[in-house]
Amino acid sequence: MPAATETYSLGMPVDIGKIDHELKKLWRESEGAMTRASLMNLAVYSEEPGSLERNTQLMARITENHACRAIVIEADCNAEANGVDAWISAHCHVSHAGSKQVCSEQISFRLNGGCTTQLPNIVLSNLDSDLPLYLWWQHEFREPMDPQLWAWVDRVIYDSQPWRDFQAQMRLVDSAQAEAKQRIVLCDLNWTRLDKVRFALAQFFDHPASHHRFAKIKKVRLDYANGFRSTALLFVGWLAAQLNWRTEKTNGADKLQFVGPSDRKIDIEMRQRDGQPIHEVTVTAGNIEFAVTYAKCGDLLEISRGKAGEKRVPQLMPAGKNDPVSLMGEELMRGGPHHVYLNAVNCVRELL
Amino acid sequence: MNRAADQPEPNPLREGLGTRAVPQPCAIVIFGATGDLTHRKLVPALYNLAADGDLPPAVTIVGFARRKKSDDEFRRDLEEATRKFSRQAVRDEIWKTFAQSIFYHQSEFGDESGYKALAKRLDEIDITHGTRGNRLFYFAAAPDQFEPILKHLKAAGLNETCKGSWVRVIVEKPFGTDLASARELNRIIRNSFTEEQTYRIDHFLGKETAQNILVLRFANAIFAPLWNTHYIDNVQITAAETLGVETRAGYYEGAGALRDMVQNHLLQLLCLTAMEPPTDLSADSIRDEKVKVLRSLRRWSRNEIAANVVRGQYAKGAIHGDQMVGYRQEQNVNPDSQTDTFVALRLFIDNWRWADVPIYMRVGKRLSKSATEISIHFKKAPAVLFNKDLHDLNVLVIRIQPDEGISLRIHAKVPGTSFHIEPVKMDFHYGTSFGKASPEAYERLLLDAMSGDATLFARRDEVEQAWAFIDPIEEAWHAKKDVPELFFYPAGSWGPEAADDLLASDGRAWRRL
Repeated sequence: MPAATETYSLGMPVDIGKIDHELKKLWRESEGAMTRASLMNLAVYSEEPGSLERNTQLMARITENHACRAIVIEADCNAEANGVDAWISAHCHVSHAGSKQVCSEQISFRLNGGCTTQLPNIVLSNLDSDLPLYLWWQHEFREPMDPQLWAWVDRVIYDSQPWRDFQAQMRLVDSAQAEAKQRIVLCDLNWTRLDKVRFALAQFFDHPASHHRFAKIKKVRLDYANGFRSTALLFVGWLAAQLNWRTEKTNGADKLQFVGPSDRKIDIEMRQRDGQPIHEVTVTAGNIEFAVTYAKCGDLLEISRGKAGEKRVPQLMPAGKNDPVSLMGEELMRGGPHHVYLNAVNCVRELL
Repeated sequence: MNRAADQPEPNPLREGLGTRAVPQPCAIVIFGATGDLTHRKLVPALYNLAADGDLPPAVTIVGFARRKKSDDEFRRDLEEATRKFSRQAVRDEIWKTFAQSIFYHQSEFGDESGYKALAKRLDEIDITHGTRGNRLFYFAAAPDQFEPILKHLKAAGLNETCKGSWVRVIVEKPFGTDLASARELNRIIRNSFTEEQTYRIDHFLGKETAQNILVLRFANAIFAPLWNTHYIDNVQITAAETLGVETRAGYYEGAGALRDMVQNHLLQLLCLTAMEPPTDLSADSIRDEKVKVLRSLRRWSRNEIAANVVRGQYAKGAIHGDQMVGYRQEQNVNPDSQTDTFVALRLFIDNWRWADVPIYMRVGKRLSKSATEISIHFKKAPAVLFNKDLHDLNVLVIRIQPDEGISLRIHAKVPGTSFHIEPVKMDFHYGTSFGKASPEAYERLLLDAMSGDATLFARRDEVEQAWAFIDPIEEAWHAKKDVPELFFYPAGSWGPEAADDLLASDGRAWRRL
């Protein structure tokens, strides 16, 4: 079965009307040697040329830990002639128990012209029944947001980091949400990027004896990499939403001031520098400084607390990675609603 | 699953970052720190939690044992063991910071001054490492050492809490050897610690599939109406292993399979399978329901035991082509030993839900294969239409280990023009559907103890009720006359024939594993 190996080829070309039939044939041929597994439908949509091959590579890695039916779509919406090409393939991996090959199937489509009219049917007619639909939208959203498609989506995954107009994009997301009666869970990979740093900072305040420090926070400093200002702002939005701060004023693009409960002022300083998307965060509360910074080895966070100038005993925690496979892996593991994200966005929506 | 009463207000920055209770900074003091359990399970589990970022940074480990050793020697020993037994590879940079929080405290268990010095050291660690007065005492020592340890902990004031801090104690099995000794042990513990502070660990409950029994039963509406005497014909629980007594002969000779496995692990699995829905997911709500199952177990009179309980001992045989000696020929085993290495039981739960449903349990060493599972055998459909000649029942299987998962056997028509019906299996494998490997049971349980979540730990009355069920069987086996027979079975078989007869007399058979 040439299509069912760990390969980045698009697999076997199939007639679009016979996808189901060809998939069944594919599995029948490999029966006994491989096990098909699927926990979700993961549709990936991109309008970038060459994305079909690139996303096939990503799916090969994502399916190592997240068995799914992958529906990978590349669209050339400006093509003059309408048309659809389709392929089927499988990503197979040896299971953790090491005894068998576990495979996820992929259906690939190249759409030409008429994207908005063709897309809903392409997705809806190829779903693995009874499994949730996760739609990874790699392009900026644009009108019209097809009501039939969005009504079926359980989780929409996007990355707001490269968005040029956050407000306009969120308006489109809101309209999709309206179609889905607010049922869609919004999964922003720009938010997922913050998971480990948020976790590292949060753990400083787990003990109730630390809670009084919230009321003493006077300064937050964030170092972010070029292009990740929106990531830094989401982090600030998270702190503000969770600790009941409201925006007071902005002093230039990277200096903000919030007001906390009992009218306490909190200064936020964001600095662009080389490194990880969020390279370092320090929170000053009274005379104590809480610091989260990338360790030299890169995939660990060094966390420490102490008075300024005092020798500290740093601890290490996993830092997470910024590549699409790692971010998707984190996001797919998480599940549940993302109210905290929405609250964070709402706190800094005007600044994004 | 739920926070204990002494849990603090939630941290607002934790919202959305996880669904479990947050573990608190603490000093974990391990009594018996130079032993096997510490090296093979506890420290590798703590290292894995640290490497995954699940361990609060302000957690320290203090090993308490008799042997002379420096902190550095202790750290080196633990590093070597962790490299060998950890489920993930040890990273030097993570171990380095993890090891900074490991200390060794040398003292005899019965030396009062050793505990006073420990108290002083823990106070210092509170200041230097931010453990905030929280203490988790882990008893990995032999049970006969529990009393002096507990007595001296109390004398040194180490059972007392300051405002906002907690002290908890984790006790490893065996929780006594019978009801009287279990009560005595509980009394000794209660002299120093309250029940809320006491966490009796049963590592079976930390396994992913054991926890999934509750999810399967109470998150899936389809099973609820069927889970009773009207639809279930019988339940079978099997814990089979190919291993023999290995290096545990000293302990096993005095324990046997009934005490070693049935009293704790198998009865716990039975409780999860048979309990009523709890009112909520708090530790006590769940444990209340488990205790009701144990209280409802039918007690056999002395003369009923032989008819309902089969005990066996392995004789020589072969497993996977290797010749195996019999139990009596194992090192440090009495050549006339009467110890049970196999037990099969027929139980009844005398309550509304389970009336007249036999529960068959079997546990044994040196059996054909290693497997732990629970199977629910549903009643036959009415013997009309297709069912006149069908003998197989619908069976729901919950596989605890290995190859964790769930399968359901149903009947299907064989394709063709005739009406030929065969059983088919719908199978769910954790390893296939979820790529992420499950954490070790000890990781989950240690984290729960640090979080104040006692759901997966046995409560005093659970332990005592389990012994109350086991004791009459042990008494019958150790009586002076009319002692039920000890059956021998060849290593590599599925136990003595008498175990098969136990089910055959009811017109049933053990599920083929």
